[in-house]
Amino acid sequence: MALLRIFRTPPEAAHAPPPWPLRLVNFAAAFLLIVLIFYFSFHQLNYHWNWASIYQYRQKFAQGWITTIWISVAALGLSTGIGLFFALAQRSRWLALRYFSKIYIEVVRGTPLLVQILIFFYVVADAFHIENRYLVGTLTLAFFSGAYISEIIRAGIESVGKSQLESAKAIGLTRGQTYRFVIFPQTLRQTLPPLAGQFVSLIKDSSLLSIISISEFTLNAREVNSSTFSTLESYIPLAIGYLVLTLPISLWTRYLEKQHRYET
Amino acid sequence: MASLLAGLALFGIGFLASCSTRDRDRLLVGMELAYPPFETSDTQGNPTGVSVDLARALGIHLGWAIEIQNIPFDGLIPALKTGKIDLIISSMTATAERAQSIDFSEPYLKTGLCLLVGKNSPVNSLEDLDQSGKTVAVKLGTTGHTFATQRIKLAKVLVLDKEDACVLEVVQGKADAFIYDQMSTFKNWQRNPETTRPILKPFQEESWAVGLRKGNTELMRPVNRFLQEFRARGGFEELGDRYLKEQKQAFKHLGFPFYF
Repeated sequence: MALLRIFRTPPEAAHAPPPWPLRLVNFAAAFLLIVLIFYFSFHQLNYHWNWASIYQYRQKFAQGWITTIWISVAALGLSTGIGLFFALAQRSRWLALRYFSKIYIEVVRGTPLLVQILIFFYVVADAFHIENRYLVGTLTLAFFSGAYISEIIRAGIESVGKSQLESAKAIGLTRGQTYRFVIFPQTLRQTLPPLAGQFVSLIKDSSLLSIISISEFTLNAREVNSSTFSTLESYIPLAIGYLVLTLPISLWTRYLEKQHRYET
Repeated sequence: MASLLAGLALFGIGFLASCSTRDRDRLLVGMELAYPPFETSDTQGNPTGVSVDLARALGIHLGWAIEIQNIPFDGLIPALKTGKIDLIISSMTATAERAQSIDFSEPYLKTGLCLLVGKNSPVNSLEDLDQSGKTVAVKLGTTGHTFATQRIKLAKVLVLDKEDACVLEVVQGKADAFIYDQMSTFKNWQRNPETTRPILKPFQEESWAVGLRKGNTELMRPVNRFLQEFRARGGFEELGDRYLKEQKQAFKHLGFPFYF
């Protein structure tokens, strides 16, 4: 039983981080368990691995990965702008603008991205004669993610107490000044962790753009699969490729959450 | 607590192990039900079509119950390889590339790749199409896709998931042509006569066959025997009359040999 002690945090130090050797051992144990489960599953599959056929297509994987990165980065920038605009529009004095943003957010959040991509590309973009499918895909992704970001920012803004707004009014700040000096600095801190989480989703959601033949990471992996029939060998690099992009953002989110906790 | 966790992990592994035993009382036939009139579903959602009837007839011949599994076309071979299905009857062309991964029965049907182009498109042949600035739509994992990746040099190749999407690309003028088999090209043109035009002359002959797991000889022999018998008793003719009457007449009129 004494051995088991290394897998438990000492009760008297529940609030302090456990010492590093303990963390290392436990991390290794958890990691090993996951590896074992996967090893067992793959072993059970009795699968004939054929990594050589996949290696020939490394160029295709790399190209798709890079396309995924730049589509995600572009959509990320755009969606932040869109999200900010609609978050503010929801608090606008113009009622029509308020309703417009409410309808936009509810429609986008209530329908599948897959359907949005198809309608945007084959109906809306066709009507407006936008031929570039990469542009349409990035825009769709940005508007999809923008709706979520707008809700994140709105929640951040609303978390600022009413007494603060009244105090701002009392010392004679204008509406713009209140946003700039009172609301935004607090909103930024509040919203950064959920925003980073949204960016992780955005990167993964970009895989759906494959249905309008945008040759991003997922489509390229599926093409390799369809010509080599080596499914697992095509999809395992795919999973790793996404993880390489999303894991740093996730870890960064954790870090931000920690920062935030200490400050309040 | 720790022993509880260890117990859970063991239980999980045991559970996984019990799931992987594969004893079945029926043959699982994989096909993508998105290729009328060969593989499709009726208004109630039941599988129907030439391949479905063929699978059922095979089941009767072998004395096995048949279960149809609806699987996307590019997922059929992986499903067969990992033992999720036993047979592929999904209008699949027996190609050399595929034969490296699975075995094929004797071919049961002949067809060819051809083009669906826009109504007013200047494209009249493969040579017209393979120019820079032109775009070709293909369906993921089909022989049209393989053909395009190997033989189309100058035109841009668009890879799409669904046949409907490929047709839509041509209808909307986003793609100059869609490379697909003669039968489907004919059907797609009939559905969109105002916007498309078929060029039915085949530039690559193909034959369809039943797919089996590599080395599965105990199933291969009876399947081949069944196909032979089915042909001899006019089964294919009957299926053609039932599902493909219109196409049969049109192809006769155009002077292309018909299929089975």
